[in-house]
Amino acid sequence: MSFAVVLIAAGLAALLTAVLAGLLVLAERYLVTYGVCRIDVNAGARTIEREGGEPLLAALKAEGIFIPSACGGRGTCAYCKVRIVEGGGPVGPTELPLLTEQEVGDNVRISCQCKVRNDLRIVIPEELFLVREYRGVVERIRDLTHDIKELRIRLIAPQAIEFVPGQYVQLEAPAYGDNPEPVYRAYSISSPPSDDAHVELIVRLVPGGICTTWVFTMLREGDEVAFNGPYGEFRLSEDAAREMVWIAGGSGMAPFWSILRHMKESSIARKCTYFLGAVGRRDLFFVDELKRLADELPWFRFVPALSGQDAGEWDGQRGLITEVVDRNLTGGADTEAYLCGSAGMIDASIKVLRAKGIPEERIYYDKFN
Amino acid sequence: MKQSPADKRITERMAPGVLCREGFLGADRRPLAEILDADRSAVVGLGVTHEQLADRLDEVLRKAVAALGTPVEIRPGLMAVFHEGMGRIPCPWGHGIFPKGEVELADERTGETLRFTPLSVHLIGAHGFYQGCGSCYRIDPESLVRIFGLSD
Amino acid sequence: MILAQATTNGGTASLLAILLSAAITDNILLTRFLGMCPFLSISRQLKPAAGMGLAVLFVTTCTAAINSALYWYVLVPIRDSGVPIPAESLSLILFIVVIAAFVQLMEMLIERISMTLYFSLGIFLPLITVNCAILGASLFMINRELKGLDALVFGFGSGLGWMMAILLMAGIRQKLAKARIPAGLEGPGITLIIAGIMALAFIGFSGMIKL
Repeated sequence: MSFAVVLIAAGLAALLTAVLAGLLVLAERYLVTYGVCRIDVNAGARTIEREGGEPLLAALKAEGIFIPSACGGRGTCAYCKVRIVEGGGPVGPTELPLLTEQEVGDNVRISCQCKVRNDLRIVIPEELFLVREYRGVVERIRDLTHDIKELRIRLIAPQAIEFVPGQYVQLEAPAYGDNPEPVYRAYSISSPPSDDAHVELIVRLVPGGICTTWVFTMLREGDEVAFNGPYGEFRLSEDAAREMVWIAGGSGMAPFWSILRHMKESSIARKCTYFLGAVGRRDLFFVDELKRLADELPWFRFVPALSGQDAGEWDGQRGLITEVVDRNLTGGADTEAYLCGSAGMIDASIKVLRAKGIPEERIYYDKFN
Repeated sequence: MKQSPADKRITERMAPGVLCREGFLGADRRPLAEILDADRSAVVGLGVTHEQLADRLDEVLRKAVAALGTPVEIRPGLMAVFHEGMGRIPCPWGHGIFPKGEVELADERTGETLRFTPLSVHLIGAHGFYQGCGSCYRIDPESLVRIFGLSD
Repeated sequence: MILAQATTNGGTASLLAILLSAAITDNILLTRFLGMCPFLSISRQLKPAAGMGLAVLFVTTCTAAINSALYWYVLVPIRDSGVPIPAESLSLILFIVVIAAFVQLMEMLIERISMTLYFSLGIFLPLITVNCAILGASLFMINRELKGLDALVFGFGSGLGWMMAILLMAGIRQKLAKARIPAGLEGPGITLIIAGIMALAFIGFSGMIKL
């Protein structure tokens, strides 16, 4: 077979491939476009028109509506649930493992796995309309304990944030090292809303955690960070007459640190007792500040408790936080309870509170898990 | 050995930085099917089942969680502590999302310490996956049998 | 009994013969054993099997037509005009390229038309590209020197035969879901046995049409 023949044969193959590739490009342009799709959000509260073909999460994000997402649209975290009332099509195989049967029946979908192909009508929680993307610079990083840091972030764009004390933001951990893509993790805002040019976060190191490892080993003062928010329904109730009980330890203190300082600034004099649980002395922080506030504010009572067999000197309470609450709860059945922490701590606390006669409707919690 | 597309997708999710920082495979270069096979024969050889081992770990997990971070005695010489972790982590097989947090199980007789999480208990019980060699949450089935005294 | 006989000068009798032989007596799956992989995996239920069957039918028909035009009206004239290109081996590569392009096109179409079908076919949609029945249909067409409309009908018949086989298998397996099968044979084991029995049955058709 001469060289010329090889060339001709190769040329034929190349020509054919080129023609077919051109055909496919044309097909993609005409077939894979879905035209402009209209997305109706919350029965007309907002109407979006976008070129179809992208995931719903991305379409909404591009139009300034931020659905919470921890995994950046990879379909693993299940935070981005949205109700698609009309136009959603069949539930995809990547969505099914993340949805309960009830959710599927209610048309709840994983928005990062749903492509916009036609007009949609969706329903999202009202508060998401207030969520924005923020860029800030780290003003200060403070070690609070051996495994907890406080970040103080000054906002760059937008320059101010509006939120209700108790809400959280999603901090973006950029791609680094083995981490190929940015991830988002939720942290409660620990600064009061009056300080609207800043956001403070309390971050506890999670062994093997993508975001916390970045915060603890790579983040420096002066670095720029990105986050979006505010999210969350955890906040003080409207019922100003009821006495409150707060239970939280470790990084669970964050929302209460915001709420307490806000209450002091706004003179919201609701009677409350804060039970702060920790294992040992080294796991406590802000103890002096809280003691000072307890002396200053007649309506605030602070009860720290250590559960470990710490031999060191400790004049506060001892025992599991649930036991301490059991022993010291004075409010009676009319009290409201606010809890923030791990699922285990919250479940155990709820048991104790129910036993004291506090009904489920008056127990508010922000579960980490 | 070629991996099926399903295994390939799961292995990708087990890589470091995707679901958690270290991933689930540690330094193990073996394909997923081989890891599962090796551990399965180990478990069968020990005369137990994945579910039995997972149930024991689950018992320990429950007791440790209830103790809210203080050490709890499972049996004389066996102590467990639960370190809570904020957030959730999905199963690489797509079987739902599990709370973070880890249990440190210390056998004072042998000086051995194991670490496991609610997710790793699910991976052992539902998938027979004990994680790759070198992963920080890898548990050898032999260690579990020894610690819980399951050998007959 | 010979039902039909191909004649060398075209005409509808010959087209019918080609269609029937490709679909029934020379069934590309049950007689020639091509295209077994998706046959074994998608045949569990009727609906995805029907979807897969239609997809394969579409691809086989179109690619048989295009490939025959490519071979008889491009490669062969080039070879006959003196350029010694290896038409057969070159055609193998070119046919695969055409089939791959077509499957891509069809994937786009299916995603557009029916998301449910797209999800149920899953990974098997792009795998149609390596379905040897489709390449087999094109190559048999070369062997039997079918051109133009003959080739189109042959492609359609082969695809139809494949679709028929997978629908039959799906129907049987749906009924089989309630039957008691020895543990070792569940899944691919019993499916292959059934495929063998179906093939035996189809041998009964051989000789009815001489092509």
